[in-house]
Amino acid sequence: MNLLLLGVSHRTAPVDLREKLDFSSGDVGAAVQELASRASVPECVVLSTCNRSEVYVANENLERTRRDIIDFLGQFHGLPSEAFTEHLFTLEGREAVEHLFRVAAGLDSALVGEPQILGQVKEAFQKASERHCIGPLLRSLFDRSFIVGKRVRKETALGEGAVSVSFEAVAIARKIFGKLEGRRVLVIGAGDISTLTAQHLRTSGVGEILITSRTGAHAQTLAEQVDARAVPWRELSATLATVDIVVSATGAPRHVITRSQIEAATRRRSQPLYIVDLAVPRDVDPSVVDIEQVILYNIDDLQARVQQNLTSRTAEMERAEAIVHEEVAGFLARQRSLSAVPTIKALRKHFYAIRDAELLRREGKLAALSPEDYARFEDVTRLMIERLLLNPTDQLKALPDEETQVAYAEMLNRLFRLSEHDNIDEDVRSPDAKSRRP
Amino acid sequence: MNLLPLLLYGAAAVAYALHFARRQAGIGRTATTLLMAAALVHTFVVAMQTMEVGHVPISNPSRAISTAVWLLSLSYLYLEITTNERAMGVFVLPIVVALQLIPTLNPGVENANPVLNSGWFFVHVASLLSAYASFALAGVLGLTYVLQFKEIKKKQLGYFYTRLPSLQILDAMNSRAVVVGWFCLTIGVVAGVVWAAQARAAFANDPNLQAMSLSDPKVFISIVTWAVYSFAMLSRWTMGWTGRRAAWLSASGFAIVLVNFIAVSYLLPTSHNF
Repeated sequence: MNLLLLGVSHRTAPVDLREKLDFSSGDVGAAVQELASRASVPECVVLSTCNRSEVYVANENLERTRRDIIDFLGQFHGLPSEAFTEHLFTLEGREAVEHLFRVAAGLDSALVGEPQILGQVKEAFQKASERHCIGPLLRSLFDRSFIVGKRVRKETALGEGAVSVSFEAVAIARKIFGKLEGRRVLVIGAGDISTLTAQHLRTSGVGEILITSRTGAHAQTLAEQVDARAVPWRELSATLATVDIVVSATGAPRHVITRSQIEAATRRRSQPLYIVDLAVPRDVDPSVVDIEQVILYNIDDLQARVQQNLTSRTAEMERAEAIVHEEVAGFLARQRSLSAVPTIKALRKHFYAIRDAELLRREGKLAALSPEDYARFEDVTRLMIERLLLNPTDQLKALPDEETQVAYAEMLNRLFRLSEHDNIDEDVRSPDAKSRRP
Repeated sequence: MNLLPLLLYGAAAVAYALHFARRQAGIGRTATTLLMAAALVHTFVVAMQTMEVGHVPISNPSRAISTAVWLLSLSYLYLEITTNERAMGVFVLPIVVALQLIPTLNPGVENANPVLNSGWFFVHVASLLSAYASFALAGVLGLTYVLQFKEIKKKQLGYFYTRLPSLQILDAMNSRAVVVGWFCLTIGVVAGVVWAAQARAAFANDPNLQAMSLSDPKVFISIVTWAVYSFAMLSRWTMGWTGRRAAWLSASGFAIVLVNFIAVSYLLPTSHNF
């Protein structure tokens, strides 16, 4: 059984093609079932997100399977195969395992370390599982990929640190106020940056958003867009005393928030007042930072943080890649030890067949033994076989690659003529169950 | 007898420090397991001493410190388990280890003075030890609040920023620890006054009891401690003194507690030495 992966991703295909090959907007389960109904693709998973559409298949005849998947993609999406084949990537065996583990870890995402992808991988597996399209190989592969995803998130800082200015501003707010529910925010200005920040604050769960602008109508429009409340410009000073977070992004040529305004607003306050100044030229008098409770961040501070986060994510990628490599090696070793099982079974069967044949041949001579002595004799011969097989079994399971494994299996077949004993139908695990004496 | 808990507390302190530096969940779990083992062994030590003298060992300074350490480790474990937040361990465990050194080096003999054989006396000491454990946690929380506030304010979002919980959580935990500590302290002080009044009548010849007044350093500093924590609570509720001011108050309060509990007990002549 081998593994094949066919797909397009943000690395191989432009967005318009990815849209055409997308499964996520429709019924992924139905797609998986349709794909699995083709004889060559009984075990499959379809992973489809905005950045990728990938088909994972476990099968023997990979070339035929590949052709079937391409046919399926074309028919399912109503596209001629030549429209997408040059953007398709194909990975087999180890490379396919590594790819899935990297995807689950967030290493293959457009925004490295983003957290949603692990949930999407789990959902893809769930959909295929519900339609009974999962066999032992894909089950162990995907189960392991979930562990890899969790390990990378737990053991590295790959997903830490915001990578945009507004996300970083909110991340700092969370570090100051914990949960943002119940917090009051004042957004000053109603331009593009204010709109973006207000939208982001709304999705971050802040309690109340107040918006003020020199042009009241602009504030009103934005307030309606983001479910906020518009406040008249003349009430700016009074409002400052009632909020926890201030975001300012006006196009004013000079400071719109002065030190005396903030001093007045914080006179009766000992909790931090967090001010984010996203405007250039700056809206907030920088000397307000001298006021004990004030925490002030301007656009340069936030951009520097974002840059730092990007750099540290890159550094964490190495640690994450190391985890992926370790997990791939472990997964393949486990698979190899599983594929050694038939040879090990045949070898045991062979040894026990010889022992049973010898016992049968000497039945007359052994008849003189008491039942207890005969049982002991059987025990000794069984233990000898187990001891003889112990090392070869361990070594076969630990062979480094498939090629060596095939060579060893052939050699053992030839040395012991294992295939000739295939017709011996005996239970090799409990040979004493067939003891010829009671 | 106190050595084994000390060694386990020491190992837990190292594990908490490693966990804080490397942020690996496995090391964190090891740290908690080591601390649980230390607290369990310490429970046996306290229980054995209780069986030995017939009451909780608190009437000798060394044994009282050992009991306070035991209460502090249990309080910290409660805080860690209820908040699922291990970052404080790196600050609490050094205090635990430093305090536990005292009873290990100087085990002391439990005081059999009949003056101390009173229910009020045990309420007095047990409440104060619980108060000290709470104030130790509040002090650590205050200190970490100040450290993190400084980093955020100066825009140096580095070591503590990535490891400590949010300022709001630190402040809320600090407030809870101060309130619990204040109640225990108040009960302890009231029980102490009642006990002293009863004991004075019963043991008219005891010089310590007769000398017990506000001019005694231990009594005086205890009243100052009570005043500081009362102010910390009142200022939070009436003047909105939360955040940094509350953090400084609880850190200063704990410094006074330490002076009273350690320095005064061992270095100054006080009517509290029986």
